[in-house]
Amino acid sequence: MSTPILEVSSLNLSFTTYGRRAQVLHDVSLSVSKGERVALIGQSGSGKTVTMRAIIGTLPMPPANIESGSISFEGRDLLNLTKPERNRIKGTGISIVLQDPLLSFNPVLTIGRQMDDILRYAEIRLGQRQSASQRKALILKTLNKVQLPQGVQIFDAYPMMLSGGMRQRVLIAMALLNKPRLLIADEPGTALDVTTQKEILNLLNKLVKDEELSLLLITHDLGVVREISDRVYVMERGHIVEANTNEEIFSNPVHPYTQKLMACVPALYGERVREVKNDQPGRPKIQVAAITKDFTQRSGFFKRTWSSVRAVNSVNLEIESGDVFGIAGESGSGKTTLAKMLLGLHLPSSGQIKIDGRPINDFSDAKEFRKLIQIVYQNPGSSLNPKRTVTQQLAVPLTFTNHSKASIMTRTAELLEMVDLPPSYASMYPHELSGGQKQRVAIARALSVNPKILVLDEPTSALDVLIQNTVIDLLLKLRQELDLTYVFISHDLSLMRNFCNRVAIMFRGEICEQGLTRDVFANPKHAYTRALLSSIPVISEREERLKPKITTAERQAVLASSTALT
Amino acid sequence: MLFYLAKRAISLLLVLLGLAILIFVIARIVPGDPARIALGPLATATQVFEMRQEMGLDDPFVVQLWNYLYGLAHGDLGKSFLTSRPVMHDIMQALPATFELVLFTIVLQVILSIPLGVVAAIYRDTWVDNVSRIVSLIGVVTPGFVLAIILQLVASYKLQFFPVTGRIDQGLGYSAAHSGLLLVDSIIDQRWDVFGDALRHILLPSIALAAGGIGQVMRITRSSMIEVSGRDFIEASRANGIPERVVQFRYMLRIACIAPLTILGLEFASLIGNAFVVEFVFSWPGIASYGVRTILQKDLNAVIGVVLVSGVFFIIANLTIDTILGFIDPRNRLREDSK
Repeated sequence: MSTPILEVSSLNLSFTTYGRRAQVLHDVSLSVSKGERVALIGQSGSGKTVTMRAIIGTLPMPPANIESGSISFEGRDLLNLTKPERNRIKGTGISIVLQDPLLSFNPVLTIGRQMDDILRYAEIRLGQRQSASQRKALILKTLNKVQLPQGVQIFDAYPMMLSGGMRQRVLIAMALLNKPRLLIADEPGTALDVTTQKEILNLLNKLVKDEELSLLLITHDLGVVREISDRVYVMERGHIVEANTNEEIFSNPVHPYTQKLMACVPALYGERVREVKNDQPGRPKIQVAAITKDFTQRSGFFKRTWSSVRAVNSVNLEIESGDVFGIAGESGSGKTTLAKMLLGLHLPSSGQIKIDGRPINDFSDAKEFRKLIQIVYQNPGSSLNPKRTVTQQLAVPLTFTNHSKASIMTRTAELLEMVDLPPSYASMYPHELSGGQKQRVAIARALSVNPKILVLDEPTSALDVLIQNTVIDLLLKLRQELDLTYVFISHDLSLMRNFCNRVAIMFRGEICEQGLTRDVFANPKHAYTRALLSSIPVISEREERLKPKITTAERQAVLASSTALT
Repeated sequence: MLFYLAKRAISLLLVLLGLAILIFVIARIVPGDPARIALGPLATATQVFEMRQEMGLDDPFVVQLWNYLYGLAHGDLGKSFLTSRPVMHDIMQALPATFELVLFTIVLQVILSIPLGVVAAIYRDTWVDNVSRIVSLIGVVTPGFVLAIILQLVASYKLQFFPVTGRIDQGLGYSAAHSGLLLVDSIIDQRWDVFGDALRHILLPSIALAAGGIGQVMRITRSSMIEVSGRDFIEASRANGIPERVVQFRYMLRIACIAPLTILGLEFASLIGNAFVVEFVFSWPGIASYGVRTILQKDLNAVIGVVLVSGVFFIIANLTIDTILGFIDPRNRLREDSK
């Protein structure tokens, strides 16, 4: 490759807060050549975002402090530039696409206004002014480049009016406005559904080629890295531990940390897949018969006009005791509504749910029903009360079911042991725990009243892959010990492959396909299932070959009717 | 947007109707015979009886309420027992003075508190921030009337910078003929001497009145600016090369001002309450002095009138704030319109 466009050499960076100094980057060196796609991977907290912010120049200093090293862009050392010189590069030389396509927009300004500002101030800095209509023309042209032909409507829209996929495209368009040479993308598409993510990755690949960009990709998703990079840097605790070409890293990882990362990615196909079985099949637990849920909205001046949305449409399910039953689907597919109906939190508009042969509205009171079925939420950071200790969290459901004070104490100790937490954690507050530990507490809380069924609502999606695996192992162990039935809701099909014995795929409120996990993955029948499976980024060539093949036309047909794009 | 505003306006009118009924009921429940009070202790029983007849106090309650609401709809608040003039007339005389004071106070609050909050947030944890936080805290904890008296003693009496009481120097012989607001009318008439004098009169009472709100709103502005500054899109704007000042004032303040503006709308209610005391201290010829007098004399129609007028004030202020927020934050009106 030619000369590097970006070169970070021996960067040492520390943060000083309340007089304490912590070094977060140790001798970080990396380079990006012209036209090259480079990925920087690592867990959260490994320092990759700090590196990114140091490169763009948005790190607040203090508390951050660059102790030594240099960052040079097109031969100029960014750290020695004056502030105006440095600012001139922002957007025009280096630009970024941030992770969350909703949070990256200012909610109170129109898209057009935000894009125009970026363009206008860049022109002011470079001393070349265009008229407002020229700028608008350029904005529409750029929106077209990211495959948003309806630019005029988008120009006048507020961010909240667009779908996730559209927002992500607009964000990329924003980054491209000033024709940068280097694009930094922070977890592009990870907040989106897989099919949309796939589109975004294809778009980025195309843009890098068409616009002669260099790309620095920052992510923890190895599947994404494999699809969209030429070279890879692996970062662990502020150190670059391995750097190599894409093929080498994936076929022959050298550093133990890289190997560990690779091993943790749930495999979609091949011998690394873990088969989960129900040892004693044939014991029906939950029967769902033709349930439908309509949400009606009242609107108008006196709330008299009605409109209704069908979130779940005549779904039939039979879940057996001991199953790990996966319900997969993209956002808006109705999987969460279905789960809430199982928990009795929503009443179905029609149809019936039976647990152990009893219709759920037959249960005498909430207590009896809650002892039967419990939920573990997606984000342990927000599902635990920050003002209560672990013991107090666990005591809530116990008090509710009339346990005495003494029995609560013994039970909480038991529960902590069950989820492999030391007893000393009982008096801690949630903020003292790590993400994985918090999720363990949430699991313990769900188990406290000895339920038979657990609804797991994306229990690991807020966690890093390394931690995800330990939580999944724990759940599998508990299933054996306590003879639990799981209903696992997720959009992560790779994880589902390794955790569920049966799956149902939901698409626009309906179940389009269900069966044994092995069969569904080996031989997907519905076009949507195929589109989903083919979109999942995988980490080896073998898996890539085993994925169902789908033509662009087929994919477009599915995407056009998918809720993710509306 | 229009739909959003119409909806807000109608709900606020309903609030006003509820307030009118409530205050009427309360006024009838409180013990003491209004006719007796109006006539004084020396009146004979016959006189009191005739007065009750005349005032309609012996009619069934529902009839009284209906007559009252009917009059209200026609802008008639009844007659004051005390002054024997229509309450509306009395209020209209006193209203401009209060309106001027409150309006000036609000303007003072807006132009001082929000910029101070922004500056404190930008220069966070520096001496600028610390000084403004301490000052604002003092403003919040000092009651308006205490501040009023201190200001009067120090700035007017000892230093003689400002007049002690009143709204204007009577010697100028000026009467506000256009809007009733001295500061506005004097500009229209180009009487700069009057303008200066009115300004000197209004400054102390409105500082006393504004102090609490300024402190509170400043602190809220500061904390919401800091909250917004940590959001992703602010980093995105910076990384996209938008100049820092533009990021601060267009991108951050636009969102950060939502909370303080909402508070300012609520502040308005307490402002009228506090104005009662401050007007009293400064002998400001406003509705508060009138209100205090009528309450002490149990002049029922007048009390109801004063309360309703404060209610109207409050509602107009909130409608204004809602309108501004509707413009600033598209999420409000989009949500309403899309329903």
